[in-house]
Amino acid sequence: MRIRTLRLVATILSFAVTAAAQGSKPVRVALTDVRLDNGLRVILVEDHSAPVVSLCVTYNVGSRNERPGRTGFAHLFEHMMFQGSENVGKGEHFLLIFNTGGTMNGTTNEERTNYFQTVPANQLDLVLFLEADRMRSLDVSQQNLDNQRQVVQEERRLGVDNQPYGRSREKMQELLYDSFAYKHSVIGSMEDLNAATLDDVREFFRTYYAPNNAVLTLVGAFKTEEALAKIRKYFGGIPRQPDPPPVEVTESELTAERRATVEDPLARLPRLDIAYKTVPGNTPDFYALQVLANVLHGGQSSRLYQKLVREKELVTSVSGFVDEKRGPGGFYITATLRPGKSVEDVEAIIAEEIERVQREPIADWELTKAKKTARRAFIAAIAGSLSRAILLGQYAVYYNDPQLINTRLDRIMAVTKEDVQRVAQRYLRPKNRAVVVTIPKAMALPTSGQEGKL
Amino acid sequence: MMRTRTQILSLWAICVLFCSWGRAQGPGGPQLPGPSVKGVVIKGKAPIARDILRVRLPRPREAKLRNGLEVILLEDHRTPTFSMHMVVLSGGLADPPDQRGLAQFTATLLREGTKRRTSRQIAEQLDTLGATLSATSDFSSLTSVVSISGLVEDLDDVLDLFADIIRNPTFPPEEVERYKTRMLAQLQLQRTIPQLLAQERLNRALYGEHPAGWTIPPADSLRRLTSEALARFHATHYRPNNAFLAVVGDVTLTELLPKIERFFGDWEPAEPPRVTIPSAVPPSERRVYLVHRPGSVQTVVQLGVLGITRTDPDYFALLVANRILGGGPTGRLFLNLREDKGYTYGAYSTFTSSKFRGAWSAGAEVRTEVTEGAMREFFFELQRLREELVPTEELENAKRALVGRFALSLENPQELLQNIITQRIYNLPADYWDTYPQKVSAVTARDVQRVAQKYLDLTRVQIVAVGDAQRIRDILAQYGPLEILDAEGRPISALN
Repeated sequence: MRIRTLRLVATILSFAVTAAAQGSKPVRVALTDVRLDNGLRVILVEDHSAPVVSLCVTYNVGSRNERPGRTGFAHLFEHMMFQGSENVGKGEHFLLIFNTGGTMNGTTNEERTNYFQTVPANQLDLVLFLEADRMRSLDVSQQNLDNQRQVVQEERRLGVDNQPYGRSREKMQELLYDSFAYKHSVIGSMEDLNAATLDDVREFFRTYYAPNNAVLTLVGAFKTEEALAKIRKYFGGIPRQPDPPPVEVTESELTAERRATVEDPLARLPRLDIAYKTVPGNTPDFYALQVLANVLHGGQSSRLYQKLVREKELVTSVSGFVDEKRGPGGFYITATLRPGKSVEDVEAIIAEEIERVQREPIADWELTKAKKTARRAFIAAIAGSLSRAILLGQYAVYYNDPQLINTRLDRIMAVTKEDVQRVAQRYLRPKNRAVVVTIPKAMALPTSGQEGKL
Repeated sequence: MMRTRTQILSLWAICVLFCSWGRAQGPGGPQLPGPSVKGVVIKGKAPIARDILRVRLPRPREAKLRNGLEVILLEDHRTPTFSMHMVVLSGGLADPPDQRGLAQFTATLLREGTKRRTSRQIAEQLDTLGATLSATSDFSSLTSVVSISGLVEDLDDVLDLFADIIRNPTFPPEEVERYKTRMLAQLQLQRTIPQLLAQERLNRALYGEHPAGWTIPPADSLRRLTSEALARFHATHYRPNNAFLAVVGDVTLTELLPKIERFFGDWEPAEPPRVTIPSAVPPSERRVYLVHRPGSVQTVVQLGVLGITRTDPDYFALLVANRILGGGPTGRLFLNLREDKGYTYGAYSTFTSSKFRGAWSAGAEVRTEVTEGAMREFFFELQRLREELVPTEELENAKRALVGRFALSLENPQELLQNIITQRIYNLPADYWDTYPQKVSAVTARDVQRVAQKYLDLTRVQIVAVGDAQRIRDILAQYGPLEILDAEGRPISALN
């Protein structure tokens, strides 16, 4: 066993808060980082501030690992992980967790799949047993695959096909990316979900659900040495597998704007989606883009809110985000129009505001705002044991750097006004963007004021 | 605000259960659910701690200013942050009948200008402090709640802003006009969301003209909104002796109290307003409402009855009964409609309670093709809860889950504070939350059946479906007198 101790836990309360300069209190997470012989990385944070434990197992597999013809499979597989293993029946996992008063879920994105639970601290053995059993011995029947295929198809209908603008986001991904890894949605297509077989499940499990392709994070009220012993007992005997094949996520910047129109029978108001292709997460430019996003559309003081919602009254809302991937991410802006307003006008104002951040440095208060907002959001995010477990797993899988939980804020604090201007110039170029315009497709609605007919 | 979700969880992650987020026997112990639980297989080999972790809930500190404002503090020193909630004891139930939504509009517009700050200045100061403000009320709420949270290093600045917004709003006419046009556009958006349309129709079916019958602001009420009406509501209800301040965070009462005194000490009390609570009258017969939403590929189904008030002696029996029926992924609805039938991503039941009778409802989104099967299973499960005693293991699991949750709430001080707020609003006994586990544990299988029979009256249940009327109307018509409406709530007289 190889032990890499980044910071040995010496205190009872690992979640130490110490005073520092400028009245800003830094928040540090002390962690123990160990690798078992079978390659499973184990990260522990002992914290006795509440009688709970949160366990997260993050597998280094997401929709980017899917192959053509099997979109949506990584997520469908996530559902399979609740369908039974050698010593746990179909659905027994979540039933047992909820019956202790705990909570759990599993989530899939492009980059990773995670499984997590928070339970009263006396149920540590239970959660370790459940996670280990399915990592060792997943056992899925055709009937259970068919059942969850239907559930996932309903999930798709719920989130995409039966919601206004549901298709617009998928269209944007298809437009923005060239590599298959990122070009398709996590939920996948109905046809591909239908095509998935039991052999696919077995193959996927063998390839990706190995201890050497996973990170276990445990945060909460336990003694580190005792918890480690239990983890070795439950997980130690699970055999290592050959490393999964690498994923190709290289993308070139766009050389010309890409544009599409989606006709949406469920929408009533037009919507404009713009995305610029940017950089992988945890890079200096990524953090500068986060600050830039805050200036443009973060909160009611933001430039786009003030201009589009208040001053010009063209849109009902404007929002956006910078997504974080190991491959190139995106800088997204979304605006939903008011009745009778033109998409061209909204686009023109967004373009004006982008030219302004490219031309002039942002104001001091805007930089302060972005950093303060980031700081408070991050502190809030790591307050709970579960979100700490999830973030540690993500940082370990994405960047091989769980200590990022302690250094990430410093990277945002290092961003300067010049950085913000530079990344605006570098990435927010008209040629480097994809635009999706959603137009309501008028259905035969009854005319207003009268009783209608179908 | 910077999109924090992108830092925390990838924005496009999708989940096995619900994305908005979310035994007891070791080997040799009694085994779990028998044949009554569908969709799961229990092997019973996992090691489970038998004991329920009993926890001690932290006590809040309390104080009162001379003007009547009560202050409640729950200390939490784990992170250098705080949140505070000004709970004004007047909500939508205080709306004038000709202006439904006034409490909600008032709360929302507090931040659009004060005697000292413009809307834009408020937005800039809030965002520069990294603070988050929210102000909410709804059509049938007992309260209006203004909440703010931030870093303790900025406590004074945030309090200054918070007090200004609560005490000195001016509701500038041009801001009121802006709000009205923006909200009228947003109503268009809301009427495209099938879940919201279902909720609206169910509330109307259950409550009629009672304030709880409203869900989406009526457009005419918005159009008639004036700065004067907002100022009047504010002056009448936002008073220190008609409110209390609940705080949680990295601060002590000794530090906090002088600051509260400084910012709220000279807030003038007034004659406390009288708000009458109208009682809700149960519907007299079963009715079916179908909201036609062209292009739908799913049917959103909701079934509801009137339930109980918050202080009803049936509260704990209903809490356990709901947990068993559909209060989460271990509920019968989820296991039957999802894990066994594959009809839906999730089927749940839920209940509300207030000073008037709340609603007990069950629902799911199902693909159009299985609307009939889903309706059958909903009725099957409602009937089963009425007719059969809940098996012991299933009952014990539900109770264990409800009590076990307290351990988790200890790392969520917001939830603890919410419990304290609930206790005050309903005048619940001081030891209410301490004795909660015993009250849950005392519920029997007969109690569950009794409340099921008392409230889940299938001859009076209200049924709502939102979907493609052409394809599902005949199915729904089998369940009672059917009314077909459009998304605006207008009746559709004929289907071709």
